[in-house]
Amino acid sequence: MIKIKNIEKTYIKASVLTPVLCGITLSIQRGEYVAIMGTSGTGKSTLMNIIGCLDKPTSGQLELDGIDVYKLDDDTPSSLRNNKIGFVFQQFFLLERTTALDNVLLPFIYADKYPADAIQRAKKTLANVGLEDRTEYLANELSGGQQQRVAIARALINDPDVILADEPTGNLDSTSTAEILEIFNRLNKEGRTIVVVTHDRAVAEHAQRILELKDGLITENGTNPNTENSDIH
Amino acid sequence: MKITKTIALSYKILTAHKLRTALCISSMTIGVAAVVVMVSMGRGAQKRVLDMIHDMGTNLIVVNAGHVTLVGGRERQSAIVTSLRPEDADAILDHCTSVIEVAPETSRKMNVEWESENLMTEIVGISPAAFRIRNIEIKTGSNFDSIENDTGKRVAIVGSVIVEKLFNGENPVGYRIRIGNAPFDVVGVMKAKGVDANGVDRDDRVLIPIKTAMLRLVRTTFIQKIHIQVADSEQLERAETEIRDLLRERHRLRDKPDDFTIQNQATLVQTERESARILTLLIGSVAAISLIVGGIGILAVMLTASRERRREIGLRRAIGARRRDIRTQFLLESLIIACLGGFSGTVLGILSNFLASKLGGWTALQSWDVTGAGLALSAIIGLIFGIYPASKASKLEPIEALRTE
Repeated sequence: MIKIKNIEKTYIKASVLTPVLCGITLSIQRGEYVAIMGTSGTGKSTLMNIIGCLDKPTSGQLELDGIDVYKLDDDTPSSLRNNKIGFVFQQFFLLERTTALDNVLLPFIYADKYPADAIQRAKKTLANVGLEDRTEYLANELSGGQQQRVAIARALINDPDVILADEPTGNLDSTSTAEILEIFNRLNKEGRTIVVVTHDRAVAEHAQRILELKDGLITENGTNPNTENSDIH
Repeated sequence: MKITKTIALSYKILTAHKLRTALCISSMTIGVAAVVVMVSMGRGAQKRVLDMIHDMGTNLIVVNAGHVTLVGGRERQSAIVTSLRPEDADAILDHCTSVIEVAPETSRKMNVEWESENLMTEIVGISPAAFRIRNIEIKTGSNFDSIENDTGKRVAIVGSVIVEKLFNGENPVGYRIRIGNAPFDVVGVMKAKGVDANGVDRDDRVLIPIKTAMLRLVRTTFIQKIHIQVADSEQLERAETEIRDLLRERHRLRDKPDDFTIQNQATLVQTERESARILTLLIGSVAAISLIVGGIGILAVMLTASRERRREIGLRRAIGARRRDIRTQFLLESLIIACLGGFSGTVLGILSNFLASKLGGWTALQSWDVTGAGLALSAIIGLIFGIYPASKASKLEPIEALRTE
């Protein structure tokens, strides 16, 4: 489903070249639950951003469902982000002073067609993450864990093929972390592809496959023997 | 992108930042209100001047003795000229085919007495034709006729200011007043006409038959003015030429310049209209500057917003917004601010016009075309000043925007 060929990314700041990814080749199958691990600055977020069409690689190729993303025009990555990818960020990125429901409805505005049953779908998705009684709450009135669940609902609303989560539990307490990881497990069991970027081994342990990044290269790429979700859909 | 949903979302975002939005709207409000008020005032002044000119009479030509120049929009006569005579008026009526009526006029400031009261006022000697030509209407009593004029009868018609000042508001018809030392019977009171285009109060005067004036009061053989009515406005130009030729011949001017000045009402209207148009344009331009200032307010607020909302822009890009969607969103927000400012400015402008007319006595001519133009202009300004921040916001790379601290 996701194919990365020889991806390189080098940042240029004040004429200084900083290589972050140094030729990564990777393939993620539909229905897989993959964790990308590494210490700070190893390029794991950069890799996730490239997979999510948020950032462009310096060189290399990215294929999503057979589409060579960066060979197409500027609108194609936007369309892919809207249809095929759902993002969950560490900082949640909800619109403040906007209700949970409106935050979840946001991706529909940029979809090809605004569904007639948008509100029902948004409410159902919020219920799916346990927030059926918080639909009219403003984002800033919710706890961190609830905000992250709203962000997951927003990521799910367009029924994407893959969920990309960058340190999704980084700002959460242990209870909320457990809830979020439980949601990811459930989504994966339902057939959703999940890629989680984390520096936390405990979080990564929930994935079927763990990739370890070091100095811009994948140093480990193996199936997680501890997970019960080891079968690839 | 779904435009109605985006408008609704833009509205929500704007209402979420109430103070910022209110400040921005108020700058547009003041700009649009200024345009509406100032142009309405300008047009009101224009209408007032034109009404005054039309109030002089219709299809009118005025021949003044000597040179009359306009200083600050008001007539100034250069010196006393004795060449214009009542016979000239008769000759114009006889020889100029397009002329249908003439009314010679002479005037002088004199003392008027009634009982123990007295005042200085303009004594104007006119022929009965002047009542028709110059739309002079009688409120109480009657005007004088040609027999009273020809026989030099001492009758007078007073203006409303004279009624107030000399007679303390009493109806003076039947009273005997003294003009200079000569007794005159008041036969009528003029309907109030207000101030004319030259700033002269037309109610602060006493009208008497011109023959009486020339024989018994001013004792001159010359006059100061002839009011001439032409059959229709099309013939004003031709009549002016005919009158000029006739007077030059009668005054034996040959190579000398005119010793009279002809004012054609059509030219006067055109001149006044032009000067009023320039005035309206000038004050409209000043008002437009305040509208631009309002636009700069939008620019500043939207630029601040695009900086403050970088993460939001990043998020929108992450969930599928294209560059043009971000551009549209910011433009819509500018447009909403500008339109709300335009609408409230229009309401404020109309209200100010109403108050200025009612309480301040100003003539504000509510011009709906300018009101519409003000609204349209505010939308255009919203778009123009919204383009740069919108374009700046749309150029942000999603990941760059999301990384904003």
